[in-house]
Amino acid sequence: MRLLVIEDDEILRASLVAKLVDAGFAVEQAADGKEGLYCALEYPIDLAIIDLGLPEISGLDIIRRCRENGKSFPILILTARDRWQDKVDGLDAGADDYVVKPFQFEEVIARVNALLRRSGGWASSEMIAGPVSLDLTRQQVKVHDVAVELTSFEYKILEYLMVRAGQVISKTELTDRLYDQDFERDSNVIEVFVGRLRKKLDPDNSIKPIETLRGRGYRFGLERKQSA
Amino acid sequence: MSSLSARLLVSVSLLLLIFFGVTIVVLDVAFRTASEQAQKDILDSQLMSLLAAAEPTDGGVLGMPPDLPEPRFGTIGSGLYAEVTGADGASIWRSRSALGLELPAIVPAAGGAQKFAEAALQDGTPLLTLSLAVQWEFPDGQLRPYVFKVAESLDAFNAQVAKFRRQLFSWFGAIAVIMLLSIAFLLRGMLRPLRQIEAEIAAIEEGARASLSDRYPSELQGVARNMNLLIGSERARSERYRVTLGNLAHSLKTPLAAIRALLEEREQPEFERRANEQIDRMDEIVRYQLRKPAATANESPALVRVDIAAEVQRLVNGLRKVHHVKSPRIEVEVDPRARLRGDVGDLHELAGNLIDNACKWCKSGVRVSVAAVSAEDSRAAGMVLRVEDDGPGVSSDDAGVLLQRGTRLDESTPGHGIGLAIVRDIVLSYGGDITIGRSPLGGAEITVTIP
Repeated sequence: MRLLVIEDDEILRASLVAKLVDAGFAVEQAADGKEGLYCALEYPIDLAIIDLGLPEISGLDIIRRCRENGKSFPILILTARDRWQDKVDGLDAGADDYVVKPFQFEEVIARVNALLRRSGGWASSEMIAGPVSLDLTRQQVKVHDVAVELTSFEYKILEYLMVRAGQVISKTELTDRLYDQDFERDSNVIEVFVGRLRKKLDPDNSIKPIETLRGRGYRFGLERKQSA
Repeated sequence: MSSLSARLLVSVSLLLLIFFGVTIVVLDVAFRTASEQAQKDILDSQLMSLLAAAEPTDGGVLGMPPDLPEPRFGTIGSGLYAEVTGADGASIWRSRSALGLELPAIVPAAGGAQKFAEAALQDGTPLLTLSLAVQWEFPDGQLRPYVFKVAESLDAFNAQVAKFRRQLFSWFGAIAVIMLLSIAFLLRGMLRPLRQIEAEIAAIEEGARASLSDRYPSELQGVARNMNLLIGSERARSERYRVTLGNLAHSLKTPLAAIRALLEEREQPEFERRANEQIDRMDEIVRYQLRKPAATANESPALVRVDIAAEVQRLVNGLRKVHHVKSPRIEVEVDPRARLRGDVGDLHELAGNLIDNACKWCKSGVRVSVAAVSAEDSRAAGMVLRVEDDGPGVSSDDAGVLLQRGTRLDESTPGHGIGLAIVRDIVLSYGGDITIGRSPLGGAEITVTIP
């Protein structure tokens, strides 16, 4: 998942970005409203974390402009102002949730995961489809209630496909959203990882969780057990 | 136009212009009509004297004596002319004054009738003419038709009218100027209290006086009184801010000291948890002070009427997003007769905290209703905000504790206690009332009444 963090305080931004990267996200960052708006409109983003009090262009304006431009990714507001009026203004402008400063990082990650799930149509933090279950908070995958060990990149691919279960995801989209920019961009790498993922999830080739659609991409094809 | 005096002067000038204009026209017409009538009367009597002077001669024609009673007939170019013509229009007699002039031919009306007409000499001099056709009875019993004509130059008449007009204009002009000047002068006097207010406010800004004086005309006393109220409430407000700021600064010092102490024993177990505890404490102190009511209801005249239905709906829309995971059913019902005069932010704070808490505690349903204070009197101000949920509810023992500042019943639901404390503070500042009870839905029912 690729996140965008727009926050002008350098210490806060650096710490937030470092922790999000630790948590397995690819992260873009911007230090002011102008740069942030550009990133939000031009980059492939799954979720944006936006501080409301930004230099150049305010957070509220960025949110409005994103929504006007048809961007539908979830937006989490960071704000030092916690009067309800300020929160409502943000939510009204098109944000989906807010975290009030000073926050603990766990709270941010919990909101981010909840919003990502929600954008994929999942209601609970554990996504279950067929015999496969994925717990976003613990980053744990089970098949038939048996834990499966995945490398961090395999997990990211599965998480991305599973959050969007039922949708066709192209290889380009996967590369865009999962790699950091300096990573080797080669769609063969994706094929290799998907192959390994299939072997780990489905060693005897009985449940076929990931379908390949020739020329179009991949789809997590198992039926969702529970969705919002 | 932004100046009151300029506005008044312009409108008065316009009024004067219309009024004097009409008066001038009326006077002019009246004077002209009267002069014309006098002119005609004179011509008529001249014609009569002409008729009286005419005598039939022996030759069977009409003759005129050489000297007429009116000397102007005998003076060349006097401006008064007479002529007698026969039935064929040929001149029988002309006055000496008409010597060398061609009097305009005028066909009189049928026998015995007088006819006034305006004509002009060849040189353009305007004339008023009167003609009379008569049948003259000669001694021999024969009747012969004649036309008697008198004409008078209108030069003198026109000059008189023009003179009258000139006088009319100069008199009225002088009156208008005098009136405008006196109005402008009066205005200066009348507007003096406004300039005085301005000076006094400037003095207040400089700190030279405390409030506006009460020596104002009755029309301005209300303004001065409200201004004094505003100044008073501003002063009270800044005093409150000063006190709040002081409280805030002082209450932050304790956790700061605690953190410094903790930093010195950073190797101790649970350092992080204990430091975070202090940070939470500071955060809570700041939040509590920041979210205090924006205004004290009965003090500030700057309060506006709040659109309760729209604001509550905005709030609920936002909260639906925030509580999406739980997706509680939120019913909203707002009585259009409910009124709140106050700060929009305060309404958001009241309803936001209560509905947010209800969403956190409920199993699946929340009900928000806003009613008018009095069902009978539809004009009565005030509102009753009731937020209910179907959660575990609050026991009456806990209810008292909950309303204390910053109390948390359940540490796992952050912000519950401080939210209610803020609600309580706002309600008290509006002179309202808050009660916690049990809802028919099964959970808590919190009722806030704002008069």
